[in-house]
Amino acid sequence: MDVFIDALNSLGQGFLNLTWQSGIMISIGCLLLYLGIGRKIEPLLLIPIGFGVVLGNLPLANLAAQDEGGVINLLYNTGILTEIFPVLLFVGLGAMIDFGPLLANPIVLIFGAAGQFGIFITLLLALGLGFAKQEAVSIAVIGACDGPTAIYVASKFARDLLPAVSIAAYSYMALVPIIQPPIMRAMTTKKERAILMPPGEKHVSQRVKILFPIIAGILTILIAPMGAPLMGMLMLGNLLKESGVVSRLVDVSENTIANTVTLLLGLCIGASMLGGNFLKWDTILVFLLGFIAIFMDTVTGMLLGKLIKVISKGKINPLLGAAGTSAFPMSARVVQKEGQKANPRSFLLWHAIGANAGGQIGSVMAASVMLAVMSGLGIGPLGG
Amino acid sequence: MDWSFGLTMTAAGMAVTFITLYLLTLLIRLLNKLFPFKNEEEKKSKT
Repeated sequence: MDVFIDALNSLGQGFLNLTWQSGIMISIGCLLLYLGIGRKIEPLLLIPIGFGVVLGNLPLANLAAQDEGGVINLLYNTGILTEIFPVLLFVGLGAMIDFGPLLANPIVLIFGAAGQFGIFITLLLALGLGFAKQEAVSIAVIGACDGPTAIYVASKFARDLLPAVSIAAYSYMALVPIIQPPIMRAMTTKKERAILMPPGEKHVSQRVKILFPIIAGILTILIAPMGAPLMGMLMLGNLLKESGVVSRLVDVSENTIANTVTLLLGLCIGASMLGGNFLKWDTILVFLLGFIAIFMDTVTGMLLGKLIKVISKGKINPLLGAAGTSAFPMSARVVQKEGQKANPRSFLLWHAIGANAGGQIGSVMAASVMLAVMSGLGIGPLGG
Repeated sequence: MDWSFGLTMTAAGMAVTFITLYLLTLLIRLLNKLFPFKNEEEKKSKT
């Protein structure tokens, strides 16, 4: 009889070890699952992240990313701490992205630089709020509007903030269609938003499409070698696509690799969100600063849009400035929608996709420069 | 707050990002001049 009771006791250990923090985190995990499944908000990410949060916070399950020897710990150490997952995602991203509109109208690339200004404003704010340099850089990069880049930088410098930074980055990317339109409307007149741009797609030589990822990859990596893994993989993925001779590799990159890595990355990030390291004041600040970063990206992008509208004597619609973030292709769709609201004959999508692709390059470049400056100043990982 | 770090990072980050993207626009213009689309179309029509 005693043996039977002992056996039952060990079965109930999970319930006995539940804490209020793990209870809250499991609820947050279920909320993320609801948003992903019920509301269809970024389901590819929110379902693995949400389930990872649930699994990681179940007591004695040994499934938290921090549980030495556990399955998810193994994946976390292999894929995230080594930065392999975010880097691999860039191969898929490169294979999916079309630089054609950007190559046909290169001026829109400049919007990709203005769309990164929020990163640096947020960096100053984070430093002002007392975050360490490594933490401030990791929070600021949420403004890159680019999940893999945010994960790459945060996993390099401030692993404690990695769960909050990655969730904030992906959440705000998903919220771009809600965050950007009010700013775009507030900063432009209806007349400006209604500016028509020629809808015709300019053709670009296939040679240019093939040479661009090679030469741009070499140039940008020579300028900021610290970002080579991100830029190199982005350009590799795009070269595979544009070469036209490796359709199987393109298929693997944009489907198998991107989907597998997204699943494992989401699971690991979710399983690293434990009550003890997530339910704290810093997490709220990270979300707040992340919002400011994306808000300011849009504001500065729009300001440049207005400036270029003046320089081009009204030929360029200032709304394109909002597509300079790297939330691809969400920002471009928002620009198209707002343009058409102001003028039903407007078709800005093609131009906006070019600016958005420029934002993708700009965000990686901004992150690369941050990594280079950190390296130049001899600043390593927090606690490292 | 470490102002010198923050301002160095901001100045370097924005300047290098802008300059690099501007260089890329020049590169694209050059590539488009060297390999215009029209030439390829003409070649294809000849063959």
